[in-house]
Amino acid sequence: MTAITLTPQQLESFQAELDQIRDDVRKDLGERDARHIRRMVRIARGSAIAGRSLLMFGFTPISWVLGVAALSTAKILENMEVGHNVMHGQYDWMNDPKLDGQTYDWDNVADAEQWRHSHNVMHHTYTNILGKDKDVGYGLLRVDEQQRWKPKHLIQPVSNVGLSLLFQYGVGVHDIDWGKALKGQMTRAEYKRQFGPFLKKIGRQWGKDYVLFPALALWNAPRVFAGNLAANLIRNVWSNVVIFCGHFPEGSQVFTEEQTRNETRGQWYLRQMQGSCNFEGSRLLHIMSGHLSHQIEHHLFPDLPAHRYPEIAPKVQAICEKYGLRYNTGSFLGQYFSVLKANFRLALPSRPAGGKLQPA
Amino acid sequence: MQSTVSKRSSNHWLKSEWLAPLNDTAAIDDLLSLVNPAWSLSEIRARVVGVVDETADTRSFILEPNRRWPGFVAGQYVPVFVEVNGRREQRCYSLSSAPGAERLRITVKRQAQGRVSNALHDQIKRGDVLTLGAPEGDFTLPLDAQPKTLFLGAGSGVTPLMAQLQQLHAAGYVGAVRFIQICRSSEDAIFRDELNALAAAWPALTLEYHYTATAGRLTPEALMEQLPDYADYQTMLCGPAGFTADIQAAWNAHGIGHQLKSEAFSLELPPPVGDGIEAEVRCSRTEQLFTAKSGRPLLAEAETAGLSPRHGCRIGICHSCKCIKRSGSVQNLLTGEISDAPNEAIQLCVSAARSDLVLDL
Repeated sequence: MTAITLTPQQLESFQAELDQIRDDVRKDLGERDARHIRRMVRIARGSAIAGRSLLMFGFTPISWVLGVAALSTAKILENMEVGHNVMHGQYDWMNDPKLDGQTYDWDNVADAEQWRHSHNVMHHTYTNILGKDKDVGYGLLRVDEQQRWKPKHLIQPVSNVGLSLLFQYGVGVHDIDWGKALKGQMTRAEYKRQFGPFLKKIGRQWGKDYVLFPALALWNAPRVFAGNLAANLIRNVWSNVVIFCGHFPEGSQVFTEEQTRNETRGQWYLRQMQGSCNFEGSRLLHIMSGHLSHQIEHHLFPDLPAHRYPEIAPKVQAICEKYGLRYNTGSFLGQYFSVLKANFRLALPSRPAGGKLQPA
Repeated sequence: MQSTVSKRSSNHWLKSEWLAPLNDTAAIDDLLSLVNPAWSLSEIRARVVGVVDETADTRSFILEPNRRWPGFVAGQYVPVFVEVNGRREQRCYSLSSAPGAERLRITVKRQAQGRVSNALHDQIKRGDVLTLGAPEGDFTLPLDAQPKTLFLGAGSGVTPLMAQLQQLHAAGYVGAVRFIQICRSSEDAIFRDELNALAAAWPALTLEYHYTATAGRLTPEALMEQLPDYADYQTMLCGPAGFTADIQAAWNAHGIGHQLKSEAFSLELPPPVGDGIEAEVRCSRTEQLFTAKSGRPLLAEAETAGLSPRHGCRIGICHSCKCIKRSGSVQNLLTGEISDAPNEAIQLCVSAARSDLVLDL
């Protein structure tokens, strides 16, 4: 991969042009954005009520399928368009305590506070920096040539499927220092601090989906149990596919700590742009992906309300063209196919085109 | 007693994490509000049942609160929440109704740049529902009966005094009561008819008006001359900060400072500090203080002072350091946006002080 280099003057105007896009949106924030997010909250809630009712009170296989469809839609919408975006602080400007990024909690086993740290701080600040951003392969997969090959990568076509089915748990353990935990180097207090919130959240989620609601359904308990399990699996696979399309298609770049030391905001923008990928589709697809279909725009402006990304995308693309940068986009299936292709290819040892291997 | 017990247990159920999402109060409130927007399990809400124009720029809103309303003491104010272009704004208004009454009243003067006062005047009509906070404030009448009471209200400062006056009347107060209203002209006098009616029914009450357009500003000296027995009164004073400070100083100088209770409101924005000047920042939760140079991120300034506020990326993207600015003015160093209004969310890592600040930290 040939790295694009901009002259300092180019970088400066590149930064200013992107800042301008951000400032224009910020000035325009208002009623429309508030209406959008509240509408999404209501649809997700309504869908959850419909899904859980169908599972609880229905008795035909058709109502079970419809119930699962409604509940997985609810979980996907709540996690992706509402939870992810609200917890980014995208709606903090509304001063609505129900949409406050610091206190919002989502219908997911990942503890909100730990997620805010692993995602908002680590992944978004150090995006695609090897050894810092754990989203690069989730400690399980080799997603770029520059990652050193290890024997565990041989089975990554299989571990990829496993991760996608259990994706919410993968996200949930993201903030945990596994190196230390597996080597037994963690003190009791540290173990409790790192695992405690995740285990507590699992308890709450399981209590809700596998105890409380089945119990309320009386003789329909197995039906509700199975429906909730199916809805959680569907949400897991869907969010995994969407998120993998964001950074792992071919052409997405990774960086070393050395390369990114003392970077300016312009260089930070450049890294976000070169490390993120979009996919195209209908408005429904954008909403169901939490607008992560616009991963490039999201990584440039993680705290702008996500439904604005499609509106600013043409401007971002124009800036890309102007500076000779690749705006990595394609069809949804095309991008995911590219992810899978790389997953198979990188299972075998290989050398980065540019030269020497990088740590981890 | 019975009701206290049932209230506690219902709160317990509402807060239990193990019942979620069945006890998701936000969701239940949202559903309830489809039936009646004033219903809520968690918020104090009030329906506007009347709108009364007091003067050309002052309007009273008569409110019928839901069952979450805890009651108030005359002289207290209530936080009022309104949404202006998607942003939830909060301002405090004194209650001008009698404490025991079923309906509440707030009286709002339109401010030239006031986002909330203008929104209340322009958007809120009969039938709308407002969200309120719990009443606050310790500007209340002394508990022991005083022989004489003087009410001194400037501008919309008469609003809490009106509640206190009605409370005294309802309590069968037998001493002399003087009520002096200071406003620009006779057209700007608030509650004139109501005060006249009260005076007609209550001979102990004397009403006076001081119009600044013709008589100029009321100085403490002029007041003392006009009211030679001023030292015999328990005085309740409410008005703009400059005015109340002058009166308080004069009362203190005459050794009767303890006979005066006052509340001030300030209309002006906090004075911005110039370049290189240090602002004093107070953390309201921890009661810690630090100084912040203008143009420098508040997070870095707090850390220099030995504090360690919650933070993350330090470049303004992760919102870990978001906090509520209670008062004062800051500038966002990334975007140049200025935040002047109270109770706005700011990011410490990219915000710099433009005035003294109070932060919810």
